[in-house]
Amino acid sequence: MQSSRVRRRSFRYAVLLFPFLIFCLAFEIVPILVVVKNSFFTSAGAVTLRNYTGLGSVFYVLSFWNSIRLSSITALLGTVLGSFIGYSIHMARSKRMHELFVAFSNVTTNFAGAPLAFAFIIILGANGVVTLLFARLLGLQLYPGFQIYSYAGLVVAYLYFQLPLMILLILPSFSGLQAEWREAATSMGASTWQYWRHIGLPLLTPSLFAGFVLLFANAYGAYATAYTLVGAKLMLVTTQIAFVVTGEVLHDPAIANSIATVSLIIMALCIVLYRVALTRARGLKV
Amino acid sequence: MKRRVPAMVVFLSLFAAYMVVPIVATYVFSIAVRWDRTILPEGYTLQWYADMIRHPYFAITLRNSLSLAVYTVGANLLLVVPAAYIAHAFLPAAKVPMDIVTIFPFAIPRVVLALALVTVFTVPFIARSPLLLVCACTVFTMPYMYRTVANSLEAIDLRTLNDAAQLQGASTLQILIHIVGPNIMNGIVSGSLLVFSAIMAEYTLARLITGARFKTFPVLLVEFTRRDGRIASAISVLAFTVALLLSLTIIAAARRGSRSGGTSGG
Repeated sequence: MQSSRVRRRSFRYAVLLFPFLIFCLAFEIVPILVVVKNSFFTSAGAVTLRNYTGLGSVFYVLSFWNSIRLSSITALLGTVLGSFIGYSIHMARSKRMHELFVAFSNVTTNFAGAPLAFAFIIILGANGVVTLLFARLLGLQLYPGFQIYSYAGLVVAYLYFQLPLMILLILPSFSGLQAEWREAATSMGASTWQYWRHIGLPLLTPSLFAGFVLLFANAYGAYATAYTLVGAKLMLVTTQIAFVVTGEVLHDPAIANSIATVSLIIMALCIVLYRVALTRARGLKV
Repeated sequence: MKRRVPAMVVFLSLFAAYMVVPIVATYVFSIAVRWDRTILPEGYTLQWYADMIRHPYFAITLRNSLSLAVYTVGANLLLVVPAAYIAHAFLPAAKVPMDIVTIFPFAIPRVVLALALVTVFTVPFIARSPLLLVCACTVFTMPYMYRTVANSLEAIDLRTLNDAAQLQGASTLQILIHIVGPNIMNGIVSGSLLVFSAIMAEYTLARLITGARFKTFPVLLVEFTRRDGRIASAISVLAFTVALLLSLTIIAAARRGSRSGGTSGG
């Protein structure tokens, strides 16, 4: 009787969750499942795999290639540079420096999307102040070899949101590397290089990998920065889907569903890998 | 050890410059008469701000963005906060599914969310309406609100608190008003501010779901980056300044929260 009363009470509380659950079902879960389902149907309603075989055309292969390459490059640069910067912040060994950086990155995350893209046009455009400084001070002509409205421009702009994210992710791992391990290694005659090669880096690898996949997903889903900078000039997965939604390009809208489904799988894979890497990294947080 | 310090200082300074220069440049550009031939601007003016304010779409898009942000915060407060409270206070079994549902939006690119909502909701009343945009923005911001509120709920031991208060004869409602409410208020305020500033800056969902029917401030900004960079920089500065003030408020609130949390914990 006791348990049935508890169960009845639990049910009453569960009912209170319904508005939230119904909202999630209606505006999140069901619409996403519909996109996945639609990717297996023609617009006339017949089951088909054409939306997937259609992805083999140069146009879409190029979009995926561009998106994956851009995400990989910015994630890799973000992981490597972010770790070095994170290590520098860690080595400062001052709590204030730590706090200052966290506040700083909280502020700069607001500078994203269109304003971010536009700021880089101002400083690194053909007549931008940084372009001019490079030319006058260093005698280095950035243009026409470099263009902000291009792939290279996107890499420079994306790193603006990738670096702080990586630093925030990796800082706790540096704190997890115990100073005693370093001392023990040094007292046994290990050089700095040997310490990092055999102890530090292997311990950090799961955290670095977790950071990499999260940065990859972060760049893969980005749209506003890319659209502001390069518009239709560079085909990315997100800009392709957006073109179908706004109806600007005349190609089979059904194929947007298969592009979206493949993208969801890529994102899901990133999240799973991130989770796995994080469990492996747990050893650090003693 | 001593040798490494200068290298790190150089490294951190370069990083700081990379992060700060684009922001400062936008501010300077917005008050520069002309800044494309010289290292320093050729003079200063507030003309671009005046032009921005006089533009007919300025007030409209600003109002649209503000109301979108307010409605989205409202929807979050009505849907996410009560659900987080119930799961933490009475239904621990619901916590895991709640975590999953609220982390989900992070894994869905916003273009995909827009595609899904535009595909499913085709009835005239809601199709590509501001209402649908509010729903999309709510889905996308749920993780911010849920995480902040869940963290502050986890900081107080709700179940013990509930049991203790019930032994003293307090009702669930009394506990909610007198104990839980004040304790998680900081989290709710931070979460709301986070959601608010995320929506003020949201471009993708607005452009793809409502487009020209309901233009938001970021949509206006992107249009100007292609038409008139000087006005675009003024819009950028206004948007960033508002976001900056909001996030400084959040940082201050979090600091106050952690301090009071520290004393009650100790």
